[in-house]
Amino acid sequence: MSEPVPYPVLNDDEPVRQFNELDVSLTYSYANYLNWLFPERVELIAGKIFKLSPAPSRAHQEVAGRIFLKIGNFLEGKQCKIYSAPFDVRFPKESKADKNVYTVLQPDICVICDKSKLDARGCIGVPDLVVEILSPGNTKTELLHKYRIYEEFGVKEYWVVSHGDQSILIYTLNEMGKFEPSKIFALSEKITSTVLRGFELALDDVFEDVD
Amino acid sequence: MSEPVPYPVLNDDEPVRQLNELDASLTYSYANYLNWLFPERVELIKGKIFKMSPAPSSFHQLILGKIYRRLGNFLEKLPCRVFISPFDVRFPKESQNDEAIFTVLQPDICVVCNSSKIDARGCIGAPDLVVEVLSPSNTKTELLHKYRIYEEFGVKEYWVVSQGDKSILIYTLNEIGKFEPSKIFTLSEKITSIILPGFELALDDVFEDINP
Repeated sequence: MSEPVPYPVLNDDEPVRQFNELDVSLTYSYANYLNWLFPERVELIAGKIFKLSPAPSRAHQEVAGRIFLKIGNFLEGKQCKIYSAPFDVRFPKESKADKNVYTVLQPDICVICDKSKLDARGCIGVPDLVVEILSPGNTKTELLHKYRIYEEFGVKEYWVVSHGDQSILIYTLNEMGKFEPSKIFALSEKITSTVLRGFELALDDVFEDVD
Repeated sequence: MSEPVPYPVLNDDEPVRQLNELDASLTYSYANYLNWLFPERVELIKGKIFKMSPAPSSFHQLILGKIYRRLGNFLEKLPCRVFISPFDVRFPKESQNDEAIFTVLQPDICVVCNSSKIDARGCIGAPDLVVEVLSPSNTKTELLHKYRIYEEFGVKEYWVVSQGDKSILIYTLNEIGKFEPSKIFTLSEKITSIILPGFELALDDVFEDINP
């Protein structure tokens, strides 16, 4: 009988140049993620690959830009820092080693107040505030999968922005580590933040003239 | 000096055949509303006219139909009744007279459990459950103005359905008469209702085959 053919082992150092080379049913770590050189943007949630929208719509970008600008201006000279996608946020469990990190997300906007979480490749650890602007094809990822990650890892505030409905909802982490939803804020209303004290955002400013 | 010209008085009995005949800055009652014969759909919120979307999109209607059918099937043998728009719901304050009612809405779907609220022209009083499917151009009306009315008049549950985001959020009235929001439910999830025990709605069913 001939030698048994060894089962193919995931070689962490091998660059992957095409997305369809990957078996999406497998579990991947950040170490694998770093070797992916294809253009498609993906996220890792508990080791599973989730594709991001190829290119967010103009309206998505306009809304994201306005919110980024307003929060960015507010944070000028302050301790917290703001980042917009693409920006890798790693969610480590016990170990921070690349091959032990199985959840890597790219929030549209995130605010990080603890500088020790920032390194050359992005953020390792949970941001204080995350903003996601819903894209039509991807709402389940934001509303379910990423919602659970943000809650599990303790993001203090998670803003869900719907440019289609011109609305914003804020999830705030309570003392038991669960997200409590705000009402859905609409045009003419203003939102405030417990993470960004003194900050106010008028929804009219965010959504006006965005079609 | 000549006789002062009297200020034009709203003649309640005069039919209005064109929306633009109306001065939108004035306050109107249900009595006026009944005389409006123009095709545009409008609602009255505290006497002010709010235009509705001229014709909801086909996706809006598909989603609405699915929710209505599921509610209707569930309520088949039960005392609560479900209505789909167009259906006038009058929100009276002290008096139920037409000229004393200033808020008349047309919820996409409403469930009314007290049959004494139903008359030939619609519902008078707060429905137990209201469902609104957001239309892109009109979200402020549903999320702000109608939200406030539904809360003020004691609608027990207010479902806000987003066809664009394929999501549903449920506002539930608490003991102090304020709406408490649920999380945003999305595909693969199911919603339940405290006023319809045993009812379950799978969002995958509601939004399947819909690509706005």
